[in-house]
Amino acid sequence: MPTHAPATGDLLVILRHAPHGSSWLREGLDAALVAAAFGQAVTLLFQGDGVLSLVEGQGPGPLGQKGTAATLDMLAMYDIESLFYDQVALAGFGFAPQQLQLPATGVEAGAIAPLIAGHRLVLTF
Amino acid sequence: MRYGLLVEGAPYSSQAAHSALRFATALVARGHRLESVFFYHDGVYNAARLAAPPQDEPHLYDAWCSLHAEHGTQLQVCIAAALRRGLLDPREADRHGKSGHSVESPFELTGLGQLVDLGQAVDRLVTFAP
Amino acid sequence: MILHILNRPPSSSLVYRDALAAMGEDDRLLLIEDGVLGALTAQIRHFQTIEGRLFALREDLGARGLEGQCDASVQVVDVDGFVTLSEEADKTVSWF
Repeated sequence: MPTHAPATGDLLVILRHAPHGSSWLREGLDAALVAAAFGQAVTLLFQGDGVLSLVEGQGPGPLGQKGTAATLDMLAMYDIESLFYDQVALAGFGFAPQQLQLPATGVEAGAIAPLIAGHRLVLTF
Repeated sequence: MRYGLLVEGAPYSSQAAHSALRFATALVARGHRLESVFFYHDGVYNAARLAAPPQDEPHLYDAWCSLHAEHGTQLQVCIAAALRRGLLDPREADRHGKSGHSVESPFELTGLGQLVDLGQAVDRLVTFAP
Repeated sequence: MILHILNRPPSSSLVYRDALAAMGEDDRLLLIEDGVLGALTAQIRHFQTIEGRLFALREDLGARGLEGQCDASVQVVDVDGFVTLSEEADKTVSWF
């Protein structure tokens, strides 16, 4: 596995919840987008069930709940390009990295502490 | 030191608001400055002005107001999270054609940008989640 | 040093594993709210990798009648101790 210098920035948003089941993911992404709009260097880490937000083919809920897939498409527009996911968690759901809707970097557990250390503020959702 | 708190749990549903208030009281007692408490996710319900808990229980709403009155701590509520959940100040109630309001001063509806600013301005931002 | 704050017990939530995996060598973990259930001697095995860096909030143990069952390896702190831990840390990360 190639070694990367740990990403650094102003804000690390850790997203630990799957789409649709709660508002955590949506509200976490909103916080990330606003921070980026305010000029902060934002990194996202999808961890645990949160890795499922990267899966392709998501849609609205039965009552028209928007979900978060469309928000993910906006990340690049806000210059949020530092995207990481927990690769053990993704494998745990039977998905391969090629099945993700966005280019994100898989990380092992040992890479998460340097990510946290490299950001001034860490918010978990 | 300058502190900020992020509260994401609804009052009485989880321990988050109680824990945040305890921590807030302790840190100002030690001489720190608590700049702001930002309410997000279900934490916005802490701003519901009509909260009427039984008299033998802690009155969380009043306790937040005291924190503001005694220490000048701002009580900032994410407007997007609040409006969805029926928490409107007089201005928003008017704008949405509602006959009453559920949020008033010292709580203020504000954007997520204020959370970003708070995170930059303070030495420590501590999250209390449900 | 980063202060990690955990409010879920290992008996019903696996978030402690992600919290532990995210901890650097000098980081500390404070158990609060239902998280203090993890401080009991019968549960402490879940946190053996961070022995000496594990803290629990006294009032959350006490309110649950659990202070007597708290493992000797856990450093029990009151809310002032919580503030001190946050002062000593570069930042805090909450896990829930």
